[in-house]
Amino acid sequence: MTANILDGLVLGLQYGLLAAGLTLVYGLGGVLNLAYGQMAVVSAMVVAFAMEAGIPAVPAVILGLIGGGLFGLVLDSTLLRPVYRLQGEARVLLSLLLSLGVAFIVDGFLNWRFPLKALSLTITGGPVEVLGVPMRRGSMWASAIALATFGGLFAFFRFTALGKAVRSVIEDEEGAKLVGIDPRRILRLILILSGVLAALVAVTQSMSRPVNVAAGFSITVFAIIVTVVGGLGSAPGAFLAGIILGIVSSIAASSIGTFLSLVILLAVAALTILLRPAGLLGVRE
Amino acid sequence: MLEVRGFSAGYQGNDVVRDISFHVEKGEAVMIIGSNGAGKTTLFRAMCGLAPASAGEVLFKGDDIAGLPAQRIVRRGLGFVPAERHLFPRMTVQDHLSLGAYPKRPDEETMKIVLDLFPRLAERRRQHAGTMSGGEQQMLAMGRALMSRPRLLVLDEPTTGLSPKLAHEAYAALDVLKRDGLTILVAEQQVPLAMAYSDRGYVLENGVITLEGTSEALAADPRVRSAYLGVT
Repeated sequence: MTANILDGLVLGLQYGLLAAGLTLVYGLGGVLNLAYGQMAVVSAMVVAFAMEAGIPAVPAVILGLIGGGLFGLVLDSTLLRPVYRLQGEARVLLSLLLSLGVAFIVDGFLNWRFPLKALSLTITGGPVEVLGVPMRRGSMWASAIALATFGGLFAFFRFTALGKAVRSVIEDEEGAKLVGIDPRRILRLILILSGVLAALVAVTQSMSRPVNVAAGFSITVFAIIVTVVGGLGSAPGAFLAGIILGIVSSIAASSIGTFLSLVILLAVAALTILLRPAGLLGVRE
Repeated sequence: MLEVRGFSAGYQGNDVVRDISFHVEKGEAVMIIGSNGAGKTTLFRAMCGLAPASAGEVLFKGDDIAGLPAQRIVRRGLGFVPAERHLFPRMTVQDHLSLGAYPKRPDEETMKIVLDLFPRLAERRRQHAGTMSGGEQQMLAMGRALMSRPRLLVLDEPTTGLSPKLAHEAYAALDVLKRDGLTILVAEQQVPLAMAYSDRGYVLENGVITLEGTSEALAADPRVRSAYLGVT
């Protein structure tokens, strides 16, 4: 049981990290970015190519994070421009369609040019013992990075003026304008941040299994599930939902079988929405 | 300080307010009175950049600000407290006041002025705006707008939903601000209070300004008396 819960925590931290970038962009700008997984994959490819070119792992990862951020910036300043002119539901729908287009194009291109490319960051060294359970070193690193990222996000939103400005836009866009905040600039910043988070997802996942060029859609799908359960627009919600779903899915996988764990995951997600339509820590009414 | 000329605004081609002209001099308190639906909110929202304007000029400190986005107008020193307040429900009083000074850091002196003006806010610095009463929220909206040290404060129906006692408190606070030299423009439905407080006023009816004058002259006008003061 302890082993299941620990595995669940490891998985849950990954889920939480997965959803953070997606949920912030949705909560802030009403933009559903279905190319989120592709942001992660492209960043993973940047890291893989950089390492192939002889760049050491850490600088290569930093390049990948920059790549993810640039992807976000490019989306913001090109494809999302017409999206921002719309409001409410129309904005969600157009962003969904356009980003799905980006996802298809990126997937198609990568599959055509680099079908066998994958990123796997091997962490050397034997298992680490936690509460008597041997845990893989890669998982420990991935969890530590996820925790540090959440800690950083928490500090950013709670203690910095810019972080509070971001929250104010999520809470009430007109109110934010009335204190002199430009919501468009905040949204651009969050898209860049979302790209960096997507890159972190790819990097941490590649520490326990290879991230190949086709991984994009499954990353997006899991990110959506966790986002919905956690509450749209809530980073703490993503964290909480990630942990819960991670533990559920790990216990389900070991006691019932891996093939059913995804179904159980979806059932738990559906149940959460039935009980709390806004998600665990939802922002919108 | 503020001069509005031939200003029109509305929704989807239908102007709700038409050809509005008025002015506010430095240090004055000016009211715009009108019944519900007269167009006060449309006028203020368009003037302050939250809604599109269709014609006319809004000269603030000599520059035309018509059509600028709200965040740019605010940074030029025009503070706006809308009727719906637009607070941040899950953020604290302290957060609101710090954000009011955005992008600058909130300076202690302004913070002290605001908290002296609204002692209730000082007692509730850690409380979330969403859990506060209507009166406290109004004070917070005013306090947030004041944190940027505006030259002109524009308030849309600051007493809506407040008890008579709190409405008086809100105007008492405005009176302090006025005596400290702040220029104030207020739209109001509760006319007697606004009239006792302001120097001059305009009457807005069905989207156009129909009357103007000093508060005394308006208070003596038989049309104003019957329509807004309940005197027959």
